[in-house]
This record gives sequence, structure tokens and C-alpha cells, in this order.
Amino acid sequence: MSDTVITLKNVSVIYKSGLPIFRQRSVHEALKDISFELNHGDSLGVIGRNGVGKSTLLRLLNGIIKPDKGEMINHGYQTALLSLTVGYDNNVSGRNNAILSGMLMGKTKEEMIEQMPDIIAFSELEEFIDHPVKNYSTGMKQRLGFAVATQVKTDVLLIDEILSVGDARFKIKSEAVMHDKILSGDTVVLVSHNPKTITKLCNKAVWIEHGLIRKQGDPSDVIKAYEEFVTK
Amino acid sequence: MFLVSKRYRDVIFFKAQVHLRSEASKTYLSFLWWIFEPIISMGIYYLVFGVIFQRGTEDYIPFLLIGLVTWQWFANTVSHCGNSINNNLPLISQLNFPKIILPSINVVMDAFKFLIVFLLLLIFLWAYGFPPTASYLALPLVLLTQHLFNVTIANTVAAVIPFVPDMQIIISNLLRVAMYLSGILYSIERLPEQYQIYFAFNPMVMIIDAYRDILMHQQWPQFGTLGIFAFGSFIGVVLSTLLMNKMDPIYARVLMQK
Repeated sequence: MSDTVITLKNVSVIYKSGLPIFRQRSVHEALKDISFELNHGDSLGVIGRNGVGKSTLLRLLNGIIKPDKGEMINHGYQTALLSLTVGYDNNVSGRNNAILSGMLMGKTKEEMIEQMPDIIAFSELEEFIDHPVKNYSTGMKQRLGFAVATQVKTDVLLIDEILSVGDARFKIKSEAVMHDKILSGDTVVLVSHNPKTITKLCNKAVWIEHGLIRKQGDPSDVIKAYEEFVTK
Repeated sequence: MFLVSKRYRDVIFFKAQVHLRSEASKTYLSFLWWIFEPIISMGIYYLVFGVIFQRGTEDYIPFLLIGLVTWQWFANTVSHCGNSINNNLPLISQLNFPKIILPSINVVMDAFKFLIVFLLLLIFLWAYGFPPTASYLALPLVLLTQHLFNVTIANTVAAVIPFVPDMQIIISNLLRVAMYLSGILYSIERLPEQYQIYFAFNPMVMIIDAYRDILMHQQWPQFGTLGIFAFGSFIGVVLSTLLMNKMDPIYARVLMQK
């Protein structure tokens, strides 16, 4: 059960804003020298304040961006990113968007069509599933995104602050699903600035501050150090 | 497109189908616009060049139609693919997939729309007095050559525009100029000879001539040049796909950093 899923070795990511070369404005090092290993069955909590590079870390783990320095090795696992902004095409119906994003996550069209009843039921979209996504409220989009990402079985689920989407009722439901997923041994990386969620759900934690790992290890230790730092 | 795996090919065709449907559902005349729009623009060119300026040659209507229909296939593909990466930031920043999918979706959509219009063109030509002949057998080769050429240019444009947004404006103007230089509205043979040589470098001139040879003059196209050209375009497709795959992980950053 301790197969390594993803290895990060001294990884750094540098963002440059403005047009490249001629009109470069600022250079911002989002992550500096990050190293850790994610093992099979881990649920890793990433904590840190706003803008310290947490979302960048998830994009890196998903393979959307490549590190500028260092090395990221994915040992052949399929990852899916779940965040508040969902990668949907606004003019296309929720149903087709769900099928498409499932296909891009590695499922076949037939598999996705087969799973649609579950996705519709879980997201509680009912007849809205055939409306274009531009008519959806933010909560509806998130519910659909959450339903797709949890119904599509990927090896690693990367979650960006989305544990509590939608209204109070959906919140309870989505938290329960996440709980099940994590406890049933799925590999999960969870980004949050809510210390409670991490101590409750994770078996490992990483605290990132200004692109550097300040502390990693047991969640309660890491959270304790983080809370002392924040309230200081 | 044969360079991506089956899994992503499915994505391309499914997404193209979904987009064509959503495009059609947005207007009252729905997919009829795919036919009316080219007819309107052809009517305008006919009015200006055929009627007002009297630049028309013999059988000017079929001459003009063949040039315009096939040119618009090229121009639409290139201009739609140019924005395909820029317009899909939400998808790119959220999912990890080969970006070559994005222009390919537009390639499929525009090829589909073209085929409808092209079919109508063939029917029109028959009614006008150019029935199908044995030379029609060469038509698939010409269509394939143009398709490969379209994909080469479309992929290249799509690959470059995210880095140099200015190219978008440059390309739309280049397309406009290139249209006048591709022998669509007038016959190149009627130009002074010292200028004719330059047109030999324009691939679209060669392709459109091949269409006219087959559809109007009941002649075989020049297989030699066409063959060389098809091969060159094929190499172009491979190279432009490799270029895009090479730069694949950069696009997410380029779009997010802007």
C-alpha cells in the first residue's frame, strides 16, 4: 500500500506576468524548492494562507503546468483536479459538459453516458442538466463539477477548497462523500485553509508559506504550528 | 488528427458535434445559415466583380463559386483555429490534455460545414451544365491535399497566437489580402505575364486550379504538383502537431500569466 504515486523533487514554479520577452513586467516565484512524496492511499492536506502557492501546487500535481526547476514524477497515475472554477464550456449543456470532462479525465463516452443518471441524481440538477451551463448559478456549476469528479474514478483526486459547495444540505452530502472517499483509501490531495478539515480528514499535512514548506508530517502537529504562526 | 490517440479522437468528434448543435440552436434559421452565409457572400462578390466591374470571364459564376467555396473552407478553418487555445482558458487551466485537440475540433467543424456547401456546389454545377465526368475520381485527392494544407496552417497559427496575440490581427488581414492574390475573383492567366510567376508560389492558387480543372474543364489535375504538394502538407501536419505537443505544457502558463 505504500506505492509512490507522485514524487516532487526540489520543485519551483516561477510566474512571469505581461507579454513574454519584450514586455515582461513582474516575476513571481510561486513555489520554491518543494519536495515531498505522495503514496498510494494517502490523504494529504495542504494548508497555508491565501496566495502562497497552494493552487499552483495542485496544477503542478495534475500536470497542467510543468516546474521551472526541479522534477515532478508521476508514476503513471491518472489525476483529476476539482476546484471552485470548473472547466466548462458555457454554451454547452451540463450533460455534454459532464461527458466531455469525463472523457478528458480518461473515461469513454459510453462509460460517461452510463454514469450520467448517478451524476444527475447526485448534483440534483434535474431538468437543468440539459440547459446550457451559462444559465447555471455558481452553486449549480460547483455541484455538477463535484458530482463528475467524485463519480469518475480517478487514481488521485486533487481538491481545491471545494469540500463545502452549495447550500447547507449539499454541504453535508458532499462532505460525507469526501469522507467516504478518503477513508476508503483513495489517494487525495486536499487544499484548504480550514485547519479543522485537515485534521479531520488527512493522514499527512504540508504547510506552505511563501512558496516554501514550513512543516510537514502529522496533521495535528502541522496544524498546531500553523495556527500558532497565524494567530501570532 | 491521426496523430492523437483514439481516446482524444473521440473527444474531438464528440465536442465538434456538440458545438455544431449548439451553434445551430442559437438562431431561428439554425443550420441553414451554414448554407445561406456563403451564398450571401458569393452574391456580393458576383455583384461587385461580375456585374459592376465586368471583370468576369467566360462561365464566371461557376468559376467564382468554386474559388470562393474552397477558399472559405481554408479561411474559416484558419481564423477559427487561431483562437481555439485562447478561447479555452477555463478548460486548459483545469484539465490536463493535449492542446492539439482544440484546433482539431474547429478543423472538424469547418470541414463538416464545407462538405455540405461543396455538395450543393456540385449539384449547382450539374444543373448549370457541368455534369460529373471521369475526372471527378481525382476529387478526393484534391480535397485531401487541401485538408492537409488547412490543418498545417491552422495548427501553426493556433500554436503561435497564444504567445503573440498581435498575430490574430495580422492573420485576419493577411487572409483578406491572400484572398485577392489567390485567383478566386479573376483568372490569373489574364494578368501580365511577369506577375503570373509569383502566383505559382501560392498553394491555394494551385489547389483552386485543380478544382476548376476537374469540375469545369473535365481535365485531370496536374498530378505531379498535386502529389508533391500533398506530401509537403502531410509533413507540415506532422511538424505542426509535434510543435504543438512540444509546447503543450507552456500554454496553461501563458494564458494564466496574461
